[in-house]
Amino acid sequence: MSHSDIRDLIPLYALDALEEPEAAEVDRHLKDCEDCRQLLSESYQVTSLMADDGPAPSHVWQRIDYQISDLEKSEIVDLATRRKQRRWMSIALAAATAAVVFAGVTIMQQSIEGDEALVALAGGVADNQGSVVADFVVDDASVAQVVLGVDGVGYVIPTDSLAPLDSDRTYQLWVITPDEKVISAGVLGATPGPSTFTWKGDVAGFALTREVAGGVVSSDGDVVSLITDI
Amino acid sequence: MGRTTRPWQMSTNTDSGVAARVRSGERAALEQAFNSHGGAVKSMAMRVLREESLAEDVVQDVFVAFWRDPAKFDDSRGSLRTFLVTIAHRRAVDLVRAEEARFRREERVPQESEPSIDDEVWTRALGDTVRKALDELPDRERKAIAMAYFGGLSYVEVARRLGEPEGTIKSRIRAGMTKLSVSLAGVST
Ligand SMILES: [Zn+2]
Repeated sequence: MSHSDIRDLIPLYALDALEEPEAAEVDRHLKDCEDCRQLLSESYQVTSLMADDGPAPSHVWQRIDYQISDLEKSEIVDLATRRKQRRWMSIALAAATAAVVFAGVTIMQQSIEGDEALVALAGGVADNQGSVVADFVVDDASVAQVVLGVDGVGYVIPTDSLAPLDSDRTYQLWVITPDEKVISAGVLGATPGPSTFTWKGDVAGFALTREVAGGVVSSDGDVVSLITDI
Repeated sequence: MGRTTRPWQMSTNTDSGVAARVRSGERAALEQAFNSHGGAVKSMAMRVLREESLAEDVVQDVFVAFWRDPAKFDDSRGSLRTFLVTIAHRRAVDLVRAEEARFRREERVPQESEPSIDDEVWTRALGDTVRKALDELPDRERKAIAMAYFGGLSYVEVARRLGEPEGTIKSRIRAGMTKLSVSLAGVST
């Protein structure tokens, strides 16, 4: 393509409105053409005006700060430990941002259908093909079973081994995604009964943590049990 | 937000100072850049992604990328805000297109397949100056630009959805962008 052909594409390039072969061609041309680089800068000036200057999302800074620390540490930590550490950090992190995370998360519905009905439902879903079934284990005993159906409806069925918490504390369920994001799936309460949650998407694991009742703003990442072998 | 009165030169000086400190590994400088521009970066990601958690992932990516490779910012080319917002838009568009490609691979219908072509939805929340400039464009040019920029669509895809020839859409976008450059010249960020 000639300089003038490329020049015609620059405004579209600035809008990220080109598809791959053309975008790559513009990229190559830009390396050697100051005139087109100048036009691109001017176009970016225009497009960037379409952002508004709201307040910076301060809780995201904590995530950035963590990730940078993690990048710096990563050279001295072997891969296996790092993966594990990242996971813990993510849990602490997700909890730290829970005020926002909660906006999109339902507090778990407890026992609307009655405990027994819920347990029976969970049992039925557990038998279905494609369902995820796993146990939170503490000291070799299951403290809760998690069942997640292909329709995205999940169940948490605690066992008698799950110790009740003080009333100012709560159990909380987290979904770990394949790219190691840890996302709150809901608050279970201090003495959890069978509960439901929804999660649409892939799952690499679950975490069960103890948090301050009602929703946490910051957390020590007090993990009761972790399932990572799904 | 009261920032437009600041002389362009001064803001550039501040930007280059911040960038130099980031290059030397000063995390407080990155935090300063985040506090100044994190809101704009997030708003841009939100316009395209329309989902808070995805937009925040983009914000995180943008600032970590700037930390890892601050030399990519060239203050002679524009402000730091423009640089960061531009990266945010690119990443958001990448996410949208990857998601659409995934749906196509799996032969599923995307849940919200058609980004609204009611471009008023997008322009309503814009600042006065920009909205006015967009409002002055012929409808067809504004719509093509909004679908591409806020919908994350390529001009080819815009053409397909509007049932118009690709060349027509290309020309409309170009014409609209030229007018915007003129009407927004001198608005500094
Ligand atoms: Zn050129």
